[in-house]
Amino acid sequence: MNTLVAVIIGALTVYLAYTLYARRIDRNVIQSDPKRATPATLYMDGVDFMPTNRNILFGYHFKSIAAAGPIVGAIVAATLWGWLPAIVWLVLGVSFIGWASDYSAIVISVRNEGNSLSAVAHRLVSPRTRTVLFIFIFFYLLLVAGAFVGIMAGVLSAQPRTQFGIIVLVAMGLLLGQMLYRWRTGLVGATILTVGITLVAILAGPWTEEIFKGLNAALNGITGNAPIVTYFDPTLANFKGAEAKIMPSLLFWALAICAFCYAGSVLPIWRMAQPVVYVGFWITAMAMVLGLGGAALASFVKPEVAQFQIPAFKGWNPQMGPAGIMPLWPMLFVTIACGAISGWHALFGAVGTARQIENEADMLPVGGGSMFTEFLLGLLALLAVSVGAKGAPVGAFASGLGGFISVWGVPLQYAVSLAFAAFIVIVLVVTQLIFRVMRVTLTEWLGEVIPPFRNQHVASFISVILALLLVMTGTWIYLWQLFGGANQLMAALSLLLVTVWLASVGKNWLYAGLPTIFMYITTVASILVTAYNLYFNVYQPNLAAGRTLPVIGSGLMVLVALLLVVAAAFIGIDGWRAFMRYLRRPAAAPKAAPARG
Amino acid sequence: MPTRGLTDRLAAARDAVKHFMYGLTGYEFARHAVEMRHEMEAVFMVVTLGDLIGVPILPPIYSLRLLPYVVPEIATWKRNLARRREFWEKEEYDLHGV
Repeated sequence: MNTLVAVIIGALTVYLAYTLYARRIDRNVIQSDPKRATPATLYMDGVDFMPTNRNILFGYHFKSIAAAGPIVGAIVAATLWGWLPAIVWLVLGVSFIGWASDYSAIVISVRNEGNSLSAVAHRLVSPRTRTVLFIFIFFYLLLVAGAFVGIMAGVLSAQPRTQFGIIVLVAMGLLLGQMLYRWRTGLVGATILTVGITLVAILAGPWTEEIFKGLNAALNGITGNAPIVTYFDPTLANFKGAEAKIMPSLLFWALAICAFCYAGSVLPIWRMAQPVVYVGFWITAMAMVLGLGGAALASFVKPEVAQFQIPAFKGWNPQMGPAGIMPLWPMLFVTIACGAISGWHALFGAVGTARQIENEADMLPVGGGSMFTEFLLGLLALLAVSVGAKGAPVGAFASGLGGFISVWGVPLQYAVSLAFAAFIVIVLVVTQLIFRVMRVTLTEWLGEVIPPFRNQHVASFISVILALLLVMTGTWIYLWQLFGGANQLMAALSLLLVTVWLASVGKNWLYAGLPTIFMYITTVASILVTAYNLYFNVYQPNLAAGRTLPVIGSGLMVLVALLLVVAAAFIGIDGWRAFMRYLRRPAAAPKAAPARG
Repeated sequence: MPTRGLTDRLAAARDAVKHFMYGLTGYEFARHAVEMRHEMEAVFMVVTLGDLIGVPILPPIYSLRLLPYVVPEIATWKRNLARRREFWEKEEYDLHGV
């Protein structure tokens, strides 16, 4: 297998699924009508509801959904089961489930006056569904925040050459916000300056390596090179399990990331979160575009970087730790999330994008098109980790992507530096946004009952502390899979809502209903498997060794897993009842579309 | 004619790419700038026409004198405020998509 074949498979998947399946559903089931008024045109307020050109919206929606998900998921899945199951799930997932979820979330919002999924659930299913959804969203954001902070702290602590670039990135983000919103500088000039300086800082990483090595050594010297926390990590030593140590340097970088995320959460969005994301976007986009092009050309120009290095298939149930199980079903389907299907896309699409849809004919190109583009990003990550089999999963990804970038003539060491930075940057910028949304969700959920939660500092601080506690277990792969399960379950719940809505308006619900059943059963099973793994592989060994912090962290994760299952059961039961109610009593025909003037 | 058709298609493709890139990059800033301006205008509207939503601040005579300047904004302002939980609610409670 080589990268050219994989790229051709990816392009064919997009073309066939879009033209033969997605368009057919759009035409025959949803019956999108360019003459029907959309919420953007009906309720235009110049701010939230704003008719927008489809190509602009495509770029905006894609940027909003594309994050670290497709990259991390592909890296973990290829490491656990090999590249073949991963590519099969990516192709089948996006073709039959992923685009349907993203597109339908936009459709349901557009056809329901631009309401969010929780508001539609409140009306169509039951009032308590909205509250349960908030609880669900908070905990799944907590899981991904814990996973990302853990990954980031590990990489920053172990790779001193990356730290300078990240610090400069944050500084340049702050500068960009100031330039755009206070000094009113033009976007192009500000972009060239800030992105250029960040890029130079990233490439200069090897020259600053010694300084940060010294910093890490000084930090570790505080405890005489003794770890702060020791725990049993079943993912170490080639998944046989080993003792892991949290050194002061790792804790320092974890705290630094938390401080950065806290600031991103409480400062006005223009001051920090938005411009940092923007600068990070250019770094990542540069690496990804060069990488995807390089993957396609590598077979001709540099065949040695185009050959897959890892096995196609590693087994149905690879052993992880002394008592762990990792069955391909259901775990693969939650390990690879965003490249195949993701609940986050549905959440965002229903509010952020649907209120700007100018014309119903734009719903498929924007919602479905962005999902297919996200699939290509996931495919690139899979290719990168498949060709670069050296070292830990993140290192393998960076060396693989660096190899693709080097096809364009960039020296390999700089290309690998850029690839490493692209990975860290995309995770970092997404993490600060996650904390921001967590803070708002916590306020929405508990602010009415417990007034202190309406204070943004209280809500942000609690979110950061909980995430830090999860990091202390050190087992980020389980955190990732638990997040993947929650994220995919969110997608299943949004598909469930779409199914109920389709039944309520008398349309054929099968295209959403069948994926709902598959994703619901698969994701609940995966969460239970992860809870089992956490209990027997992390909680029990650490309890036996008398380690308090890892026991609290893993115990919290097991509790969160069970809570997610209970929340999903409530929503599932309510959704099923609503679905049967609408099936027995066909609802009135959809209202006639108001004419567009 | 075929040449013109090809030129038109190329121009359309160039525009599409230009719009896509704008959506990827500058659109978010433009949206936020509009939101900031909207917040400023909302404060002005509350001060001048607050009695429309039960917050009388200026005596009606001054509101009436300012009315011609704010008429174009009244419909969208009322619609936007009607969607808020509290009329003074600001973006820190914006769910940013959720």
